[in-house]
Amino acid sequence: MEWDPETYERDAVAALERASTSEEVESVSVSFLGRRSYLKQALREVRDRETGMRLNAMREAIEGAVAEKLAKVQADELARKLAEERLDVTLPAELLGPVRLRRRGSLHPSTQVRRDVEDIFLGLGYEIVDGREVETTRYNFDALGFPDWHPSRSPRATLYLGDDTVLRTETSPAQIHKMESTRPPIYIISIGRVYRRDTIDATHFPVFHQFEGLAIDKGITMADLKGTLLYVMRQLYGPEREVRFRTHYFPFTEPSMEPDVSCFVCGGAGCPVCKHSGWIEMGGSGMVDPYLYEFVGWGPEEYTGFAFGMGIERTAQLRYGIPGIRPFWDNDLRFLRQF
Amino acid sequence: MKVPLSWLREYARFDATTEQLMHALSISSAEVNGVERLGVPGDISLFKVGVVLEAEKHPNADRLQLTKVDVGEAKPYQIVCGAWNFGVGAKVAVALPGATLPNGLTLERRKLRGEVSEGMILAEDEVDLGSDHDGIMVLDDALTPGTPLADVLPLVEEVLDIEATGNRPDLLSVYGIAREVAALFDGELVPLDATEPAHTGDEPVDVRVEDEDGCPRYVGRLFRDVSVGESPIWLKARLRFAGVRAISNVVDVTNYVMLALGSPLHVFDFETLHGGRIVVRRAKKGEELRTLDGAVRKLDRSDLLIADGERAIALAGVMGGEETEVSETTSSVLLEAANFEPISLLRTSERLALRTEGSNRWEKGVDPHLAGPAATMATRLIVELAGARWTGHADVQATLPEPSVIQLRPERTSAVLGLEVPAGDQSAILAKLGFEQSNAGFRVPTWRARDVTREIDLVEEVARFKMEEIPFTLPQRDAMFGRLTRWQRLRRLVEDVLTGCGFSEAYTSTFVAEGDLRLPEPLSLEAAALRTSLIGSLVDAARHNVSVGTAEVALFEIARTYHTGRELPDERWHVAGIVDGGFADAKWAVEQLYTALKVHPAYERTSEPHLHPGKSASTAEGWVGELHPSLLEGQWGAFELDLDALVAAAPEAVEFEEVSSYPEVRQDLAFVVDDAVPAAELLAALREAAGPELRSAAVFDEYRGEQTGAGKRSLAFRVAFGSPERTLTDDEATELRGRIVQALADRFGAVLRA
Ligand SMILES: [Zn+2]
Repeated sequence: MEWDPETYERDAVAALERASTSEEVESVSVSFLGRRSYLKQALREVRDRETGMRLNAMREAIEGAVAEKLAKVQADELARKLAEERLDVTLPAELLGPVRLRRRGSLHPSTQVRRDVEDIFLGLGYEIVDGREVETTRYNFDALGFPDWHPSRSPRATLYLGDDTVLRTETSPAQIHKMESTRPPIYIISIGRVYRRDTIDATHFPVFHQFEGLAIDKGITMADLKGTLLYVMRQLYGPEREVRFRTHYFPFTEPSMEPDVSCFVCGGAGCPVCKHSGWIEMGGSGMVDPYLYEFVGWGPEEYTGFAFGMGIERTAQLRYGIPGIRPFWDNDLRFLRQF
Repeated sequence: MKVPLSWLREYARFDATTEQLMHALSISSAEVNGVERLGVPGDISLFKVGVVLEAEKHPNADRLQLTKVDVGEAKPYQIVCGAWNFGVGAKVAVALPGATLPNGLTLERRKLRGEVSEGMILAEDEVDLGSDHDGIMVLDDALTPGTPLADVLPLVEEVLDIEATGNRPDLLSVYGIAREVAALFDGELVPLDATEPAHTGDEPVDVRVEDEDGCPRYVGRLFRDVSVGESPIWLKARLRFAGVRAISNVVDVTNYVMLALGSPLHVFDFETLHGGRIVVRRAKKGEELRTLDGAVRKLDRSDLLIADGERAIALAGVMGGEETEVSETTSSVLLEAANFEPISLLRTSERLALRTEGSNRWEKGVDPHLAGPAATMATRLIVELAGARWTGHADVQATLPEPSVIQLRPERTSAVLGLEVPAGDQSAILAKLGFEQSNAGFRVPTWRARDVTREIDLVEEVARFKMEEIPFTLPQRDAMFGRLTRWQRLRRLVEDVLTGCGFSEAYTSTFVAEGDLRLPEPLSLEAAALRTSLIGSLVDAARHNVSVGTAEVALFEIARTYHTGRELPDERWHVAGIVDGGFADAKWAVEQLYTALKVHPAYERTSEPHLHPGKSASTAEGWVGELHPSLLEGQWGAFELDLDALVAAAPEAVEFEEVSSYPEVRQDLAFVVDDAVPAAELLAALREAAGPELRSAAVFDEYRGEQTGAGKRSLAFRVAFGSPERTLTDDEATELRGRIVQALADRFGAVLRA
């Protein structure tokens, strides 16, 4: 082959076209771009800028063509190889190759807490519901008494999919659907994913899980709420636990209160877990606001009820002493296999 | 809000320790984040008022004074001091040897440049009362030497950190908390001093409110001959304990009154107001304002403004403007004590990301009736502290809504609480909180008007005070229904099968880069849409585990997927898995799943871009296969099934069949057959040919080799024949076997191997 700068690139492309294996592409590359190729020699001998630029452009063009062809040939080769590996996929697994699964897997700590919570409330005679995650603002906010200006309605706080649809910010919409579909007695726990527009850091993730309870019946009282949560907290955190209630404010309960559990790390003496108060905040609770009964079309005083909500991850963090929220979503088997 | 207890005790007389106070407030009123003890940490009796008997230059140091100070003891103390702003006869604050200062330093008798110094004459920053270190504090001449310094200066302070809930803006003030505390401990709320200082002059104050909805009340007061300067120690100390920086007497007064009463105030340098006029209006298009923090704010037509005759001078309730700021040279001050509507103010402060102590109060709704008392208190202090003359007054107010009157049935309260609370007790609690009782019901005090509008809100007031008396009971049930649904039971089964197979459960994010449903405002590029399948997230999770060197990776997840639906998206539960191994591992797990759910899947070859083209199968509920090697290095098995479809396919009840007491005849049959014929088709044909006497059939071997020839393979089946009524004869078994051989030969050209 003679060095002819006019046809060199065309020759290289033609040679690449003829190549059908990666070895052949490789050898075309060596002969047109390698150390002893005409092009390399010419580049070594080049003296003027213009020629240098022209030859370098040629080199780049050929390199590009080689890379492109190589990718295509390799993809074809892989496809051929995979085609040769074809199995009769209807065969039972043991005839398809060695099944190497040996060690037992584990349930995620969030699932273990979910099951525990489910079991505790099944024991109290509650049903478990979930509902849907994409909700209308009517069910996620209006029904729950969030005023128009409430900061939770802001797209800075809540993930909107459309003007009137959001990823639910709590599981309570499922409770409203339940209220619309049946009459009391209602004793339900809703458990599932909820969403906030949070920047991911050690303690925040835009997705987390809540369990929220709703009990509506004739004659339900705040005392019943206190007693129920005392029972639940002792089931979750040990029989010696005490529970106290602090006045709080939530849009959909009146009166509202926050339950605290006596610290099971320090026993009340004070430690970082309870922020040295002896008490650990567990979530929110209160008596169902009469507004809700009217929303679903019942009389405001036919029934009374209570509601409460807590976090699954937070419960798991407290039970197992897991710092931060990231391990729940990192799916690192060194973490998961401990449960 | 930080509440210095000495300040609180000025407004409320009550009998409780700090511990009791914190407990009661946190149970009944607001979150108490803690208490901080500020000021002198140790023995305060070592701090005394002294009188300077002698003061001369230190013999060995030009910049020090050598003093003798009488602190009411037999012998005066010799103290070396670096300040020169006092002379003989000055009353000063003295810390004696052994005293510990707030910065932790404990004083000792020691020599300074050869002279003994016994203690320290104090500057205000040394006892945490201010930032001034230019000179020592010169105290009131009337004081007697030896007087405990704590009687004169706030040497120690306990400060509560109280976080009120959004419905209680009344608790964003010391006086509001005092009212609450007085009620909690059956104490006494000290009435506010309503005396106005004398009016010296009668200048008109030009206030126009163009937006009465945004500003239902505007009190403007004019002060002349104002000397702007430093605030007295008591005021600086209170602000400091409350976490607010002292600036100047006039500005400090506005902050002090805001903290005391909860109604934010503002002051303008009156001389800088064009036309000497105040106009409350919405911003005009394109209007701008340089606020006190130096930033130029582009205003929106919904922003409520304070303007003068020509331009914007403050963002109402949020922040003042720089050009009208009160400075050291100001001599005429216009005080604003107004009321602003919360919602538009909240929007403005959110839009500008500008939060201030003031906006934080306005956005929760400040009692419009506070503007008057706030103006009065501020007027008194400006006149007293800045030597000013109050010369003008304007008060513009819209009609404020009448306080509502609410009926309360005491038995309703008891029914909601689950605690019998006598009617008299309920009335007493409400009375202490300012609810006036009449025949018509309870009149809601103005500072609770937004929060208390219904009977249930009054019930809550009683509940707050009875919180710890409410017993612990369980609901009386007359219907029970605690049970998992079928779906929930089967989900647990699927979880257990997969962990049993060796998969650990993963929880991955709902969000991916691409999906049917996109977030109009994505969280990030990778979190821009809701996922339509789980496998992508599991591949990421597997990759993470590989990257940290974990072996034997096997993960599964049960979660929702999101697809375009009618009004709302179609949410479908999926179960998916990934396993370091290959097709066989994944298929084995899927087989276990189907077996556990008693569903018989029909596997068919499938092709998906993310799967190995020769090793992937679909079923009615999903797919199982080997990941395409371009996705993840190595051999990975994977599957994803529609859990809702799986549950739907699972039989509701087991159809029991009695176990036959007659023995089965087992036979192995091997056929050489075309490679292209799937084993499942052969098996189906075999079952059909054999009929009901076939009790079971399965492929147990696949073989390719010289004997089978190119393009063919040998498949071996293990079959069992039997009957529930009798033992099959050899002839019958042979006949069944013959039918099978015939059928497979006819349909697939399969040849029975010898
Ligand atoms: Zn603790």
